[in-house]
Amino acid sequence: MVSILRKSRTEFSPAGPASLPAGPVDPGYMMRVEDLGIRYDLRLTRKTTIRGTFRNLTKISRDDRSFWALRNVSFEVAHGESLAIIGPNGAGKSTLLQVMAGILTPSEGRIEVVGHISTLLTLGAGFDVELSGRDNILLAGAFMGIDAREMRERLPGIIEFADIGQFIDAQIRTYSSGMRARLGFSIATAVDPDVLIIDEVLGTGDAVFRVKSQRRVMELAKAAKGIVMVTHDLNWAEEFCNRAMLLEKGRIIAEGSPAEVVALHRERSDRARLERDAEIARQVAAATA
Amino acid sequence: MATTTRPVRRIQTRARPGPIELVVEGLREIWSRRQLARYLVQADMIKHGANTVLGNIWWVLDPLLQMAVYVLFVAVILGKGGADYPLFVFAAILPWKWFSSSMSDAILSVTSREAIIRQVKFPAIVLPVAATASGVVSFLFGLIPLFAMMLLFYADRITPYLLLIPAVAAVQFFFSLSLCIVFAAINVFFRDLGNLERHLVRLWFYLSPALYATKDLDPAKYGILAELYKLNPWVVLFESYHDVIYAGPKGVPGPPDWAGLGILLLVSFIMIGFATFVFKRLEPAFAKVL
Ligand SMILES: Nc1ncnc2c1ncn2[C@@H]1O[C@H](COP(=O)(O)OP(=O)(O)OP(=O)(O)O)[C@@H](O)[C@H]1O
Ligand SMILES: [Mg+2]
Repeated sequence: MVSILRKSRTEFSPAGPASLPAGPVDPGYMMRVEDLGIRYDLRLTRKTTIRGTFRNLTKISRDDRSFWALRNVSFEVAHGESLAIIGPNGAGKSTLLQVMAGILTPSEGRIEVVGHISTLLTLGAGFDVELSGRDNILLAGAFMGIDAREMRERLPGIIEFADIGQFIDAQIRTYSSGMRARLGFSIATAVDPDVLIIDEVLGTGDAVFRVKSQRRVMELAKAAKGIVMVTHDLNWAEEFCNRAMLLEKGRIIAEGSPAEVVALHRERSDRARLERDAEIARQVAAATA
Repeated sequence: MATTTRPVRRIQTRARPGPIELVVEGLREIWSRRQLARYLVQADMIKHGANTVLGNIWWVLDPLLQMAVYVLFVAVILGKGGADYPLFVFAAILPWKWFSSSMSDAILSVTSREAIIRQVKFPAIVLPVAATASGVVSFLFGLIPLFAMMLLFYADRITPYLLLIPAVAAVQFFFSLSLCIVFAAINVFFRDLGNLERHLVRLWFYLSPALYATKDLDPAKYGILAELYKLNPWVVLFESYHDVIYAGPKGVPGPPDWAGLGILLLVSFIMIGFATFVFKRLEPAFAKVL
C-alpha cells in the first residue's frame, strides 16, 4: 500500500518558514487549509491589449479595485475522506481548487498537501482538440509530470476505463462533451493520486459511466486517499461524499455530513430565490403603479 | 496506512524570490521537464501535418516559393542581385522562416494553452521553449531543397563549410529562444502583441542583409546608422549563413564570422537569463489573467 514516490513528485516549490518538520512525515491528514484568502486584483486580471492600455492611459480612471474571492477558509481533509464543496455560482469553489492544486498562490494563509495531487480540474477542458485521445492522454501525463514510460504502462487501463471505443484514435474535436469528461476522469483517477481534486464532476457523463466512476471514487476513498470535488449535482454530493462544505461568497457557511449541508444549501438557495422573486415583484409593482 | 511516507507540500505566499533564484529555478524547470517539451514538439508536428506526405511537401515547397517571389522581384524586375542570386536568397530565407515562425508560434504558446494552465500546475516556461524547438524541424526540412538546389545547379559551391550550418543555427536558436520566452509572457497581458510583432519582424528582415549583402551598402550614405546596423544580430547571422553556403569575403564559401557568432552567443545567454527572469516574475499572475 505504500505509494511509490516518483522523482517528479518530490519536487516542491521552495516554501516560506516551515512549521512542520521537513521530510516525509504523516501529519494525520491529506490536506489542511489554514486561514486561506485569495484576492483578485481586477485591474491586473482583466484581459488587456496594447490598444486598450493606451486608451486607459488617456482616461484617468483609477479603479484599483480588488476583491476577495476567498477569505478565512480553514478546513482539513482526512485520510479516506471525500469532501464535496457546494455553493452558488461565483462562490469561489473553482478558485479554491486552483489554490489547492498550486495553480494560484494564496494571498494569505496556507495549504499543506500530503503526497501527490492529481488535478484535472474541469474534466477534459485542457485537452488539445487537434490531437487524438491517445496523444492527449500522453500529453496530459507529461503536463502532470508523470514519467513517459509509466504513462504508457497506464495507457491501456485509461483507455479501457474511458470506454469510448475506436474514438480514442480520433481527434478530440470529434468527441461529445460526455466523452471528453469520461476521458478526463479516467486520466485524473488513473495516475494513482494521493489527493484527487475534480471540478464539476461528470455533469455530462451518462448513467453507465456514472456508476463506474462512483465505484472508482469509492475505491480511491477506501485506499485512504483524499478526494475533494466541486459539484452542482447535490444528489451526487450526497451519494458519493462522506463530508460536504457549503461555500458562499468566498466564506465557509457550513461543514458536516452531506445530507445536512445539502439540505441547508437547498434551504438557503430557496430563500434567496424567494427574496429575489419578492424583490422583482416589488419592482414590477412600483413600475406599474 | 498511517505509516506511508509521503512528502508534504506547502502552498503559501512566498517572499518574492530574487532574480538569480528565479533564473536558476526557471532553467531547472526547463531541464527537468524536457520530456514535456518533447511531447509538445511532437504534438506541434502532428498538427502541422509533418506526419503526412502532403504536410511534408509544404515544409519543402514553402521556402522555395518564397525564394521564387524574391528572385522575381529583385533579379528579374529590378535587375539587381549578383551571381547565383537564388542561392544567395535561399540561404537567408531558410533561417529567417525558422526565426519568424518560431516567434509567431512562441508568442501564442502560453495563451493558447490557457485551459491547461488553469488545470494543472506545471512550469509554463516549457511552452515557449517547446515552440522554439519545434521550429528546428521546419528548418531541417528546408535544408532538403537547399541541398537539392545545390546539387542540381550550384555544385561548384558545395564545400565542407556546409557542415558548419548547425553551428550558425545553434547560435540562432539561443538568440531566438530568449526573444520567444519574453514575448510569450508579455502576450498574456497584451493579447495584440502578435500584430505588432509581425510588422516588427518584417521590418527587421528588410533591415538585415538577407536580400542584399552588407558590402553593397555605402556606409558614407548612412552615417551613424551604419554603426547601429552592425549591432543587428541578424547581420552576423545572415552573413555567417552566406559565408558557409553561398560565398564568404573571398568570393567562395568560407568559415563564418566566428568572433561575431561568439559574441552573439554570449549575448544570447545573457538575454535568456533576463528572459527567464521576466517570465518567472510574471508567471504567478498567468492563472489569474488567462
Ligand atoms: N481570473 C479572475 N479574475 C477576477 N475575478 C475572478 C477570476 N476568476 C474568478 N473570479 C471571481 O472569483 C469569484 C469566484 O469564482 P469561482 O470561479 O471560484 O466561482 P465558482 O464557485 O467556481 O462558481 P461556479 O459554480 O459558477 O463554477 C467570482 O466572483 C469570479 O467572478
Ligand atoms: Mg467553478
